Amino acid sequence: MLDLSFLGQTILNGLSVGCIYGLIGIGFCVIYNASGIVNFAQGAFVMLGGMITYVLVSLNVPLILAAAITIICVALVGVIIERIVVRPLWDRKATMFVMILATLAAQIVIERATLIVVGDQPKSLPVFTDLPPLRLFGIAIGYQTLWIFGTSIVLIIALGLFFQKTLVGRAMRACAINREAAALQGIQVSHMLALSFALSAGLGAIAGILVTPTQFTAFNVGTPFAISGFIAAIVGGFGRPFGAFLGGLTLGLAQALAVYSLGSGLKNMAALSVLLLFLFLRPSGILGSAK
Amino acid sequence: MSITTGNILEVRGLTARYGEVTALRSADLDLKEGELIAVLGPNGAGKSTLMRSIVGLTSASGDVRFRGELLPRNAAAVAARGIALVPEGRGIFGPMSVEENLQLGAYMINGRGEDYERRLSRVLTLFPRLKERLSQAAGSMSGGEQQMLAVGRALMADPKLLLLDEPSLGLAPKVTAEILETLAELNRSGLSVLLVEQKAPLALKIASRAYVVVNGRISTEIDTKEITSHDQLARYYFQ
Repeated sequence: MLDLSFLGQTILNGLSVGCIYGLIGIGFCVIYNASGIVNFAQGAFVMLGGMITYVLVSLNVPLILAAAITIICVALVGVIIERIVVRPLWDRKATMFVMILATLAAQIVIERATLIVVGDQPKSLPVFTDLPPLRLFGIAIGYQTLWIFGTSIVLIIALGLFFQKTLVGRAMRACAINREAAALQGIQVSHMLALSFALSAGLGAIAGILVTPTQFTAFNVGTPFAISGFIAAIVGGFGRPFGAFLGGLTLGLAQALAVYSLGSGLKNMAALSVLLLFLFLRPSGILGSAK
Repeated sequence: MSITTGNILEVRGLTARYGEVTALRSADLDLKEGELIAVLGPNGAGKSTLMRSIVGLTSASGDVRFRGELLPRNAAAVAARGIALVPEGRGIFGPMSVEENLQLGAYMINGRGEDYERRLSRVLTLFPRLKERLSQAAGSMSGGEQQMLAVGRALMADPKLLLLDEPSLGLAPKVTAEILETLAELNRSGLSVLLVEQKAPLALKIASRAYVVVNGRISTEIDTKEITSHDQLARYYFQ
């Protein structure tokens, strides 16, 4: 018999993790739009978000302060990757495949460095609001879930305002549309590339900080998150930040429903089926790809 | 034509290659302050490469000097010196509104403030049609309007030197005439202009001199008043 409250719970959980995928997917889009690069080090930013916050919290730094420091640190890591890995290749007009390989290598380097520094044991963070979950129609809504939804919505709105209303945001959009024409207006495209890495890394860090209390973090969680975020970006329409968020929700929901109806072993199969379905039926994604 | 003083632009030995192909060979060119000159030549001659090389969009060897100073090989830095290029194909930001395009033209003054308002007002006076379309997506406008936007956006930077690459491309003769008349008017007000154009008769109406580019070389420099007697140009354009 259909258990509606369990189904509702499943959907809620799926949307919650979908928000995380969406934020990671937005990170892919922001960098892709500014540079045409698919950055597979995106997962490392998510891992570092949870991991650095964990280290700071274990040093008795208050959670909010730890989160703020982490976001700044990870954004800096993003800029460093851009400077020492991506920029030299970009200047030499390296192909997309070379870029993907280089950013994957950067991801592995960060993973291994994290393994050496903090070890291989999973780490977790306390929930941001330590109260019993709210109950609605038999569905338990944890405060961490509300943090994930709330932060995601705030970030989506903030990013929308940034890209639509600020000159720098418009300059980044201009780079996405036509890099040469943007340069002709005096926009230093390379600065926009660095900014896009900082922004994407910051988003990844926020995703990592949000999700760690509900799951765990470890040196090797980055790659699965990167793959899910990448799928979200493709499903949403590659290069469309809001599309990536919708793609993330779709993916999270599909995974959750697969777990509900078929068992947890088929979660990844569901994710890849969603990807294949979109590639076959609507390759440009939900909102249509940006390029 | 306004009274001219020294050279605003000096190009010496500019050479650009695309892989094995040399698209521009040792080009020399001078443009005096306040002058409007044309660069003519058939399709694929290297005119656009010349423009792109001057502003640093295409890597090239040789010297480009602006008011005596060497220009960097970086398009954004060149724009910051006061040189604006309206590229072939216009390069407008299609999904963005006309106003956003114009604001980005004034990126170097942060797209706001009194100076921005003054420039915007000037551009909208020059191209009144843009005023009616400020909130419209730039890509949804007609080709002529898009060209007006491209020129208007370049003027938002308040350039000292305006480069235009094939502004007549794909436009109706009437619209082309309108845009070229605006260029002539801007030149009369003191703006130096370097105009690349395939349709030589149009360019020669407003230019004082012209360079002819053939097979990547600047083959000839001509005074536009003597143009009808020039056999080589006639072979390309007046047959």
